[in-house]
Amino acid sequence: MGRINDVGGMHGFPPIERELDEPPFHADWEAHVFAMNRALIGRGVYNLDEFRDAVERLPAAEYLAASYYERWFRAITALLVAKGVCTAEEVAGG
Amino acid sequence: MADLFAPGDRVRATSVDPPHHTRAPRYVRGAVGTVVEREGVFPLADDRARGLPSAPEAVYAVRFAARELFGEGDHDVTVALWESYLRAVS
Amino acid sequence: MGGDHGGAAASLAARVRHVEALLEQRGLVDPLELDRALEAFLARANPDNGARLVARAWVDPGFRARLLLDGNAAIGEVGVSMGGGLQEQRLKVVENTATTHNVVVCTLCSCYPVALLGPSPTWYKSEAYRSRVVRDPRSVLAEFGFALPDAVAITVWDASAETRYLVVPRRPEGTEGLDERALADLVTRDGLIGVAAV
Repeated sequence: MGRINDVGGMHGFPPIERELDEPPFHADWEAHVFAMNRALIGRGVYNLDEFRDAVERLPAAEYLAASYYERWFRAITALLVAKGVCTAEEVAGG
Repeated sequence: MADLFAPGDRVRATSVDPPHHTRAPRYVRGAVGTVVEREGVFPLADDRARGLPSAPEAVYAVRFAARELFGEGDHDVTVALWESYLRAVS
Repeated sequence: MGGDHGGAAASLAARVRHVEALLEQRGLVDPLELDRALEAFLARANPDNGARLVARAWVDPGFRARLLLDGNAAIGEVGVSMGGGLQEQRLKVVENTATTHNVVVCTLCSCYPVALLGPSPTWYKSEAYRSRVVRDPRSVLAEFGFALPDAVAITVWDASAETRYLVVPRRPEGTEGLDERALADLVTRDGLIGVAAV
């Protein structure tokens, strides 16, 4: 029933953890993922709803284990392959 | 297309569990709430996520009693729902 | 952070650089442009924007009424806009009173009035907050150290479509002598989400 992102009202999640004086990004790569996504949506490579869809379609266990921007990165690479911008081999290489 | 609902109207959220992207959270499925206001018209996210053409459609803020959603709680939850997700309750 | 975790982060950073290079080759991103856009975004999208709106609403009843009626139109008076994200977003401002309290969430992802609050904190995007605040907001507020009297009714706003919600907290007692700037300094990002009193 529904996708893994659709957690409203679900039981079983722990108390809320807060980080004091949290910075906007915890690492440079997070800022780059954020900026890359905006650029790709801005250029019309994909739209925001396709991006959300790609995040939600991550395998459930992967979704829960990944950090927020890790999810974004996985969704971006999946979309780049789906849209034919890069091949899966190119994305995986490096 | 004219709006189907106005503030004060009672509406039931869709009980469909679609296989694609949607913005109707599952906790409102089948629940009855009250339209608070019309938030504007926007293309349906379900269509845009699938690359389908989508005419702008009304979105409403709909208020649900927690008891209706979860069987407990004394609060309300207001959820923004596209017209396609809603049915009139007579 | 353990060595394992640090290693995973380093490899993720390398993979992000790799994909960014692929996109640069294809002319889809320009690293200099990304840096500039990021810098401009962070300079513009800041919780002080939201705090200034609240302070103005506290001192100016006419502005308060306009803000609650049409957020996008009113916030221009304070020199801010909802254009901090990819596109101008619709803003709905909701006000706490002696009898009602508002709290904002996005249960499906992480929608948030980023132009007025800056990038959202990790807890706002967590499954813990998103799953629990719609079901049991009083317990969640208590975890934030915010004990709301039982007599105060709570409305949770789930930002599930195209509107972003901002909470106007109640003006604290004993602040009659403060000017607008000093009042804005009292307002926190958490207060603007509804998980703190101010």
